[in-house]
Amino acid sequence: MSRLGAPPTRMGRLLRSIDWVVVTLAIGIVALALINLNSASSSAWSGKVQTQMRWIGLGTIAATIVAALDYRVLYRLAYPAYAFGVGLLALVPLVGIMRNEARRWLGFGEFQFQPSELMKVLLLLALARYLQDRGGEKRHRSRIRQLLVPALLVGVPVSLIIVQPDLSTSIICVLLTMSLLALGELSVKEMTGIAITGLVTMVLGWGFFMLDYQRSRIDVWLNPEAYADNKGYQTIQAMIAVGDGGFVGRGVSQGTQNVLHFLPYRDTDFPFAVFAEEWGYLGTSMVLIMFLCLVMWCLNIASQARDRFSAHLCVGIAALFFWHILINVGMVLQLLPVTGVTLPFFSLGGSNALTMMIGIGILLSVSRSRRERA
Amino acid sequence: MSNLQRSEDLRALVPRLQAMSVVATLIFVALLGRLCQLQILEGEHYTRRAERNFIDEVVVEAPRGRIFSSGGDLLATNRPAYTLYVTPRPRVQIESEDPNKPPVGARVPLEDGQIDELAGLIDFVDEADHDAFVDKIRERRGDEKNGIYALAVRSNLSWQEYARIETRREALGEWVEIRESARRFYPRSELVAFLTGYVGEITPDGLAQAAGAYRPGDRVGKTGIERQWENYLRGRLGRRSRVVDVHGRAVADPPADALAALPLEESPIPGQDIHLTIDLELQQVAANAFEGKPAGAVVALEPQTGRILAMVSVPAIDPNRWQQPIPQEAYREWAESPFKPFIDRTVQEHFFPGSTYKVVSSLAALDDPTFDPEREIVCDGYVKYGGRKFKCTHKHGPVNLHQAIVQSCNVYFYTLAMEDVLSLERQEIFARRTGLGERTGLGINSETKGRIPTEAFEAREGTYQRGVQLNSAIGQGNVTATVLQIAVLYAAIANGGQVMTPFLVDRIETHDRKLVFASTPQVRRDLEAIVNADRQRIHQALIGVVNDPLGTAYSERLPNITVAGKTGTAQVGAAERRQAGIVRPEWDTTKDHAWFAAYAPAERPRIAVAAFVEHGGVGADAAAPIAMKVIEHYLSRTDDPSAAPIRPAGEPPPLPGQRLDAGAGPRGPRLGQLGGKSP
Repeated sequence: MSRLGAPPTRMGRLLRSIDWVVVTLAIGIVALALINLNSASSSAWSGKVQTQMRWIGLGTIAATIVAALDYRVLYRLAYPAYAFGVGLLALVPLVGIMRNEARRWLGFGEFQFQPSELMKVLLLLALARYLQDRGGEKRHRSRIRQLLVPALLVGVPVSLIIVQPDLSTSIICVLLTMSLLALGELSVKEMTGIAITGLVTMVLGWGFFMLDYQRSRIDVWLNPEAYADNKGYQTIQAMIAVGDGGFVGRGVSQGTQNVLHFLPYRDTDFPFAVFAEEWGYLGTSMVLIMFLCLVMWCLNIASQARDRFSAHLCVGIAALFFWHILINVGMVLQLLPVTGVTLPFFSLGGSNALTMMIGIGILLSVSRSRRERA
Repeated sequence: MSNLQRSEDLRALVPRLQAMSVVATLIFVALLGRLCQLQILEGEHYTRRAERNFIDEVVVEAPRGRIFSSGGDLLATNRPAYTLYVTPRPRVQIESEDPNKPPVGARVPLEDGQIDELAGLIDFVDEADHDAFVDKIRERRGDEKNGIYALAVRSNLSWQEYARIETRREALGEWVEIRESARRFYPRSELVAFLTGYVGEITPDGLAQAAGAYRPGDRVGKTGIERQWENYLRGRLGRRSRVVDVHGRAVADPPADALAALPLEESPIPGQDIHLTIDLELQQVAANAFEGKPAGAVVALEPQTGRILAMVSVPAIDPNRWQQPIPQEAYREWAESPFKPFIDRTVQEHFFPGSTYKVVSSLAALDDPTFDPEREIVCDGYVKYGGRKFKCTHKHGPVNLHQAIVQSCNVYFYTLAMEDVLSLERQEIFARRTGLGERTGLGINSETKGRIPTEAFEAREGTYQRGVQLNSAIGQGNVTATVLQIAVLYAAIANGGQVMTPFLVDRIETHDRKLVFASTPQVRRDLEAIVNADRQRIHQALIGVVNDPLGTAYSERLPNITVAGKTGTAQVGAAERRQAGIVRPEWDTTKDHAWFAAYAPAERPRIAVAAFVEHGGVGADAAAPIAMKVIEHYLSRTDDPSAAPIRPAGEPPPLPGQRLDAGAGPRGPRLGQLGGKSP
């Protein structure tokens, strides 16, 4: 299949088996993210940025290993890996490290790690496997039973995560599950029903069940100026940063909201605001289009998949990126309330970067198998 | 475990995948649209808001205009000083990792401990001073609107305070700042205290009235010239801006865009310099003449123009004292002092003019066509009227008008009052014509009008008796006048009958010596109604007071100079007499107030003086020597130009510095007309 007609060498086969679209997009996004992270932490490639780079290096190794594996190995490892992830999560309440009144980390000396992040990918593996094994057998079992297993697969880790507490990761896990089910399990009617139920629950919850602090968070989101000196501060400063970027941006490390520290949480929750101020609309549209390309490419690989497992896996990876981007960017642009959902690669956070890299690795693996067999 | 086999129904997934692609694309398009709105359409708005975040405007104080005497001596100037500024704005809490701390974005006010720490570095004069300082900062620390501006909390720091604060700078935090500024300095201390006045911190009331023209902590003129000419002395504030970070700290190397966004620097425009008419040497002579006399005042002016040459009120407080916090103890002492050091006795206090008022009575009498000034009235030492005895100093025997003035005979004027030649009404007309009963127009230190009784006034007060008319005729009863008014009155007699508006400000110049304003003499009230012969008659009598051996001030006459003047002894009310008694040897409140008003040289007057000694006793003994010293010093100075002749009534007064015989020149800008024109 070589276009040049030369006999395929071993090296040539390897190079051709790599999905260069994914690799190029990943390298581009990671490069921009690191430049931005360095600007946001205003300390020339040191400290936090170096740590982040180490994690991305680790992630790259992990991605390479995963990419090198036949995805059928992933299929076989799906349940054990899931069990391993749940085991780690179960360890967190026992030996986890407390930070900011939340127990989310496991530590091995210097090395600190958030199992809930890794759980996102492991959940995708388990769900994909289950949907391969049992999915599509629509007439054989009752609907309830058919959906019970996915509900349990997501329910167990989410209940462990939500008590850490970590609402953002829990929501992402639920959204990932929904996305996978949306591919082959749920009918349009059911999805509409779920969406309506979700909306009604939210409205009712806002009216009756939410605690005051949760309700006030919504208030702040809808009207941040009224809370400008307190809870609305970060929202407003993020908006100012985004708008200040204008069309061409202020230049790297030249955004005043960033370098003069008016913007809080520059490297964790609001790196996109930093990026928007310094790169302008040119930069933000470029990054969003790169992310969109990645998501679309995932869906493209899924459409060419040979089996339900790999198709669901690719949709899962697409959903993983999509929901993170939507919730984080939506928050920065004041379209959604403030949550702790990170922007892939842009946000400081080792476990998250590692997880995202593993996601890229899975994508490469599936893509490779698709090409090899084509 | 099932095997991974190609599923049959994979094709069924394709529509869902396509739907997902569409949804994802739509959502990304929505995000891009929102970004387009924020960054391109509304970008300008957010750029302004970002600028509001980091631009910090610092006001640059303008050096206050200086005040000079006529000879160019500095009366008020500026010296470098340090001012402590505090920006008590609540701080924005940034990146709070500790959940027990306030959340991000919360405004954290200054803590009491921080304020106390700063207060601990300052030398307070007393407890009240300390409390005022702490309260001032506490009041502002929660103030979102004004808290963002640096507030001058302590002016004129001492070197020790400066050093202490600077060494603790890092620990105190960025809300404390010391800026170089200027302190007001009055090199002549008490000598011209009431003229220059002093500056002090603006009051809350003043701040409210200024409608934004001043900021809290600004120092403004409180009294005297400093207050009257505040708008000229003040200058215009400059503006400098800088880039600050979220903590309000100036940033050393801000982004280039931030520097470009800074508004242009505006340099301050220094205040304008005021040159007074005051002859500092004469002022010193006048002040020295009060040695041993705790309270009194003297005003000397140029009769032809109304230029004030010397204006002294004792006692006075060194205006430099107001540049430092004043211990309450000291303040109380001043407030309770019988000598009332806060009061400017030249304009703020009015007294019975006593016999100095007799020139007004005489003018009034001469106006009556039935009155014959040569007619003699026999003085028996008293006159009885309405069952009361109105006393004279002693038996004068038969006196005409001339002798009545020369010997200061009360009975003569009592008789005229009894005969209704000196009715209250006629007295009032002439008192007002000569400038009594209304402000002279000098404009400093909240001048009082004094009092001229009318029948209506007496009736209203319920004190009207015919006896009042008698007492008024000799400057008692309800007649009161300020020392300045008496000086202006005698200047009017000296200059041929024109009541001049006295003035203290000769000219105002910008800091680079461009003339902004020059005073011209102003006639306030022309005594043209007075026949020149009448004026001559009184003039001759006033010469007699000093030069006739029978004259009341004969003992005080000067060897080379013919002085025309009138003594006065204002009786202290019986109540006041009873109240106090002798407080100190030199302060006997049972003694009368002593007056002497004069001008000299009598032929061609160049100076008119009114001297007043509170509880000084007899006018000739206490007040006349003071006036004589002033006159003698002024006229004996060799560098003085030739004397001006008496100016006929109706002729315009000369320009400043120009003598009458120099001829009429071009008129300069008049008082109140201000322009940048230099002559």
